[in-house]
Amino acid sequence: MPLQAFGKSSALSLGVELELQLVNTVDYDLTSASNDLLELLSRKPFPGTVTPEMTQSMIEIATGIQTEHAPLLAELRGMRDTLTAACDRLNIGIAGGGTHPFQRWSEQRVFDKPRYQEISQLYGYLAKQFTVFGQHVHVGCASGDDALFLLHSLSRYVPHFIALSASSPFFQGVDTMFDSARLNSVFAFPLSGRAPFTLSWDDFANSYFTKMEATGVVKSMKDFYWDIRPKPEYGTIELRVCDTPLTVERAAALACYLQAICRRLLERAEPLPTEDDYLVYTFNRFQACRFGLDGTMVDPRTRESLTIREDILATLRHVEPHGVALKSLSALAEIERCAARDGNHATHLRRVFDETHNAQSMVQESTRALRSGPGA
Amino acid sequence: MTEDLLRPLIAWPMMMLAAWLAGEWSHRRWQLPRVCAYGAVGLLFGGIGLSQGVASRETQGFMANVALALTLFELGYRVNPRWFRHNPWVLAAGIAQALLTFGTVFWVAGLFGVAIDHRLVLAALCVATSPAAVMRVTHELRSAGQVTERLLHLCALNCLLAVLLLKMVVGYWHLETSGDLGKAAFNSIYVIALSLVAGAVFGVVAPLLNRLVTSSQATTVTFAIAVLLLSGVAQSLHLSPLLAALAFGAVARERRIMLSHAQRNFGALGDVLVVFLFVFVGSLLSWTGLLTSLLLGMSVLIARSASHTAVNLAIARVSGTTFRKGALTGLALMPMSAFALLLLEESRAYGFDLARDSLPVIVGLLMLLEVLGPLATQRALLLARETHPEEN
Repeated sequence: MPLQAFGKSSALSLGVELELQLVNTVDYDLTSASNDLLELLSRKPFPGTVTPEMTQSMIEIATGIQTEHAPLLAELRGMRDTLTAACDRLNIGIAGGGTHPFQRWSEQRVFDKPRYQEISQLYGYLAKQFTVFGQHVHVGCASGDDALFLLHSLSRYVPHFIALSASSPFFQGVDTMFDSARLNSVFAFPLSGRAPFTLSWDDFANSYFTKMEATGVVKSMKDFYWDIRPKPEYGTIELRVCDTPLTVERAAALACYLQAICRRLLERAEPLPTEDDYLVYTFNRFQACRFGLDGTMVDPRTRESLTIREDILATLRHVEPHGVALKSLSALAEIERCAARDGNHATHLRRVFDETHNAQSMVQESTRALRSGPGA
Repeated sequence: MTEDLLRPLIAWPMMMLAAWLAGEWSHRRWQLPRVCAYGAVGLLFGGIGLSQGVASRETQGFMANVALALTLFELGYRVNPRWFRHNPWVLAAGIAQALLTFGTVFWVAGLFGVAIDHRLVLAALCVATSPAAVMRVTHELRSAGQVTERLLHLCALNCLLAVLLLKMVVGYWHLETSGDLGKAAFNSIYVIALSLVAGAVFGVVAPLLNRLVTSSQATTVTFAIAVLLLSGVAQSLHLSPLLAALAFGAVARERRIMLSHAQRNFGALGDVLVVFLFVFVGSLLSWTGLLTSLLLGMSVLIARSASHTAVNLAIARVSGTTFRKGALTGLALMPMSAFALLLLEESRAYGFDLARDSLPVIVGLLMLLEVLGPLATQRALLLARETHPEEN
């Protein structure tokens, strides 16, 4: 089946998806509770959508289409409040965070849905090790060509989003030394990485995708686990590198930071992206995963190297006028606080661990942080 | 060494070995809960008189209490009191179910012409759900979900309420027989309050001691020894070791001592003691006059499970789950033997003569439930699809 035409969406509109962890309230291990939770939630209208995920200890929430920070945040908070109230009734804990710090993948129950059972069959332990939790941000694009232009121009900013959102320092019970250990799980998949370089939607759909489909390796865009991928049915591109932060406030801020960068890029304020931009891509991405905001990134054009923190703070200055236009200055302020002062949520979780020497207390803190908002 | 002393030393480990092997075998062959086999083997040895001859109630009773206290500590730790605030329906279900069970069992036993005093004891005991069977089966199946949550929380409530009701019955009995209000009050209020206080003190002190330990394995040992000591203290002071252990677990939870994943059910120590517990319970049940009490037992069993199911079904929707899961929760609450029997033994040891006379009345029920109870719990959790796929 050829790739469908690139759908209509209004430029710079936003949609946020968050994968959340369901844990028990005793030792804070992941618990298979999505069936019970979804049953209870189905009784009343849900603000936004909520869907099951790969394993029963995971659910995904998604906002509707938003254009500004305040309503986006309000919708996320509304969903969060509905979820925590339902979880309270069922004695379930719910939390953000890119990984669960000590769950054992072999314990996870795969959700009873043909696609998930198939994936589980195909990938074996990889599928269960994929019990990781990400934030996906959709940005509306006026055309397929715009989508590919943004997708490739954003490659330079991917380390920002990894470092700002990173909240997965522990995995399988050990400190990984990474700020985002989650992405290491994603990289294990054969079709992960980046999209092939082309700026023409026609070329992408009719040449690349058709050839890939003919090989039998992929059936749809869903089979690609790229860092950023086009989503033709929505008319969006989807940034997939973010860990689910501990708070919805951080999640909304990340989405609006992306929106502001996209607005600047669409003004063609920077030179057109080229294939050579990707020379430093995996190096920068590794630095962001491993060291977070302290990581080093190399600018593919100037070949200068500076810390990711410095690059974020410089970018914030460039996008400020766009923040004014998009009414998202408070989101940009949250990003600045994170980069300049508080650090990301991986740092916060490590701090909790240093105080308590207990992996369970990190999850306890994550459940608290999701409820009470910033301060984390 | 005299022969009298030697025989129990060999007989008990042999019986436990037989029970353990039967548990493993029947679990592998038919996926039966292991505790069913332990109970069945215990009953068998009791029936052929093997264990009765070698049972020394004092020492073995203490060991059985420790075994159950470990489970109760864990149950207390497992239960989240905040849930009752967020979802008061679960708490309401617990109380309604206790009262309804008490009432129906009292009524059914009346149909069989059982004396009022015995009916009161029977009804109070029937409120209990055995934590040993429930904890073992949920752990064995690695189950998680609403039936599991409700089962564990209601089990804890049932144990608490059964103790309260039985102490009230004991108080009433003392008042009736001696007219001594002081003694009556002593037996109910004093015992309950002091048991809870003793457990709470341990819940505060044990975590402090635990600060010395260096590994999570050692944490298990600290708490196991603490439970052992608490059981000893409670028994010497004529308090309820069972209630104290439950309170200990609940307070330890509030003090947020994290027990790691690997140490659920107190590991191998818990395994050994639970085999002993079930064999011991079996050995206490005499087969004489069984036939008559089986019919009563069967009727009480039905009345009790019907009460559980009716209440859980009634609150299912309003408490946030499905009717199906509500009904299965009611079914899963069936086990009661170990807890009820040890509670009865405890009362007997503290001079409640009625407890001794009540045993023949309840023996049929306990025998049935020793084997059927864990099986019902297992089936309910399987039907609710809350078990880990590898355990199906």
